[in-house]
Amino acid sequence: MHEELLEDIAQKNGLREVNPYLKLAGALGAILLCLSSTSFIAPLVIGLLLSTGILLLARVDLRTYGELLAAPFSFALMGTLVIIFLSGGGEPLWSWSPLTWLSFSLTRGSINEGILVLSRVAGGMSALIFIALTTPMTDLFLVMRECRIPEPVLDLTMMIYRMIFMIMDQLVQTYQAQRMRLGYTSFRESVRSFSMLCGSVFVGSWEAGEDLVRAMDARCYSGRFAMAGEIRPVGMKSLLAVVSFLLVSSAIVLSSGSITII
Amino acid sequence: MTHIILEARDIRYRYPHGMEAIRGISFHVRRGEKVALVGPNGAGKSTLLLMFNGMLRPDSGVLLFDNQPIRYDGGSLRDLRRRVGFVFQNPDRQIIAPTVYQDVAFGPTNLGLPEGQVRVAVASALRNVGLTGFERRPPHQLSSGEKKRVAIAGVLAMDPDLLVLDEPTSNLDPAGSEDIMELLEELKGNGKTVFISTHDVELAYPWADRVILLRGGEILQEDSPEMAFGDADLVRKARLSVPVLLDLHRELERRGLSLPGKRPRTVLDMITTIEQVARKGGSSPQYGTIHVCDVDETAREALSYWLSCHDGISLGAMGTRAKQRASEEGLTLDFSYGVIDKCILKALNGKSSLILTAGGMVQQVERRVADFKEESGAQIPVRDVVKT
Repeated sequence: MHEELLEDIAQKNGLREVNPYLKLAGALGAILLCLSSTSFIAPLVIGLLLSTGILLLARVDLRTYGELLAAPFSFALMGTLVIIFLSGGGEPLWSWSPLTWLSFSLTRGSINEGILVLSRVAGGMSALIFIALTTPMTDLFLVMRECRIPEPVLDLTMMIYRMIFMIMDQLVQTYQAQRMRLGYTSFRESVRSFSMLCGSVFVGSWEAGEDLVRAMDARCYSGRFAMAGEIRPVGMKSLLAVVSFLLVSSAIVLSSGSITII
Repeated sequence: MTHIILEARDIRYRYPHGMEAIRGISFHVRRGEKVALVGPNGAGKSTLLLMFNGMLRPDSGVLLFDNQPIRYDGGSLRDLRRRVGFVFQNPDRQIIAPTVYQDVAFGPTNLGLPEGQVRVAVASALRNVGLTGFERRPPHQLSSGEKKRVAIAGVLAMDPDLLVLDEPTSNLDPAGSEDIMELLEELKGNGKTVFISTHDVELAYPWADRVILLRGGEILQEDSPEMAFGDADLVRKARLSVPVLLDLHRELERRGLSLPGKRPRTVLDMITTIEQVARKGGSSPQYGTIHVCDVDETAREALSYWLSCHDGISLGAMGTRAKQRASEEGLTLDFSYGVIDKCILKALNGKSSLILTAGGMVQQVERRVADFKEESGAQIPVRDVVKT
C-alpha cells in the first residue's frame, strides 16, 4: 500500500482511545447546530473549533487536512456563487442582464444566503471529517452492533471493509504495471488500458471472493462473526470536553441569532 | 509406540475437465511428527494438502484421520476442520475479519464457544505467535510476516491436532522465514503434528523429521531428510536441488576423506564430524558453557545483573516469549534461530553463551546437549542461571 488512506490516519490518530459515542455525539451535534443556526457566525466558530481539535488533539497533519477540505470547499464555493448571483430577495445592489432571459443580480438577501450556506458547509464538513479522521471503521462496527444493525448487514459490511484493501492493492499494482508499459500515454490507449484494468480487477476480486468462501469453510464458518473487544470507556476529560463544546456552540447559535454579514 | 494421525491409501484426484493431479498416493503421518512435502511447482502439493481437511474429496482411495475414514457430511467436516488446521499460502486470502482479534476469534466463535472462552483462546493463540497487543490492528497494516502469524493464530485458536501449512515461508524475508520455522518447531513442542509443503529444500532439510518428495502427482521418495535428499538423481528428477550441506559432505567423501557418523543435517553436525577427523589423537579441548535462563522465572534486575557479570557473552533466544522479553529489555540477540545448535558450536570453540527461553524448552536444551554428547562424546556443561 503506497498511499495513505483516511482509515490509516484514523487508526493512529491522537483521539483513537476516546469513546466513539462521544466523538459521534460531538460531531453529529455540531452538524445539527450548524443546520439550525440562522447566522453565519455559529457554523464558522464550530468549524474552527473542530478543525483545531483535528489538528491539535487528533494530531492530523495540516497539509492532509487542507487537501481533504479543498475538494468539498471548491464544490461549495461554486454553489455559493450560483446562489449569490441567481437568487433574489431584498434590494438589488448590482444587476446585469446580458440577455432578455438571463440576469445576474447581487442583492442583500442573496449575499447573506450564500455566506450562510458556505459557513454551514464549512462547519458540517469539518464535523464529518472529524468523524472520518478520529473514528476508524473498526470502532464504528462496534457502535453499529450496539445500535442493533442486523447481523447479516454488519457481517457483510465487515467483509466488504476487509476486501476494499485487497482490491485496492490489486488495483494499484495493475495500474502501475500498465503505466510502466506506457498504458496511459494517449487518450485511446488510456481508454483501452482502463477497460483492461477494470476487467482484471473484476476477475481478481471474483477469485478473491471464492478464496474467501474457501477460507471461511476451512475455519468452520457457521454464520457467526466475532466482534472485536470492548468499546473504550467514557473518559471524564473527554466527556467534559464534548459537553462544553456542545454547550458553547449552542450558546453561540442562540446569541448570534440572525446576525448577517451585511 | 507412536500413533498414526493421518493416512492416505492410494488416493487419486482429477480436476474437473483437467488433468489428473494426484495419481495414487499412499503415506502416513505419525502424531507429533514434522513432515515436509517437497516438490516443484505444479507437483500437486496444494491439491494434496486441500484433501487433508476435506476441502477436496479424492476420486478414489481412502484418507483416514485418526484411524477413521474421512466422511464428507457437514457435521463430520466441521469436526475434521477443527482438528486439522489449514494455513493457506497467501495470508491475505485467509484473513477475513477487519481486525486481528476478530479474525483469530473467527474459528472459535463459529465453533459456538462462549465469549469468555473465545477471549482466552484468542489471547493464548496470539501469545503463541508473539502478536500480543495487535488485537485492534487492521490486517492491511501488518507486514507479510505478521499477516502469516495472524493466519497461523487463527488456526491455533481452534486448538487443532494437525497443522497443515501450504508454503509457509513464501513471500517472507529470510529472517521472517526463520521466525516462522522456529514457531513451527515450538508448536511441535506443544504436541502438535505439523505438515508443511514447500519447494525450499534448504528450509525443509534441517527442519523435517520426514520428507515426502512429490512430482507430477506421485510420490518419488519418502524417507528421513538425509536419505530423501541424498539421492542426487532423484532430487534432480524432482526439479529440486541437493542441500548444500549434503553436497559438501558428498564432495568431501569423494576426495577420500572418510567421515564418521551419519550424514550431516546441520552445520553443527558437519563441524563435529570434521573436528573428529581433525582432532584424532589430539588433546581434548576446553569447552565453553551453555547457560540457560527461564525468562518466566527470572526478574529483570537479576538478568541484567547476570549479564553485567558476563560481559560479551553470546546471547540467543528460543521461543516467541523469550524473544519478546529480549526486545522489551533492549537486548541484542546473536542468534534467534537454531539457537541450541549455534550455542553448541560456540561451546565447541571454547566460548560460553546464554540461551533465553521459557517453560518446557529449558529441558529441550538439556536434552539436545545430552544427545549431542552421545553422538560426539563432547561433554558440554549446561547451567541454569536461576539455580546458580
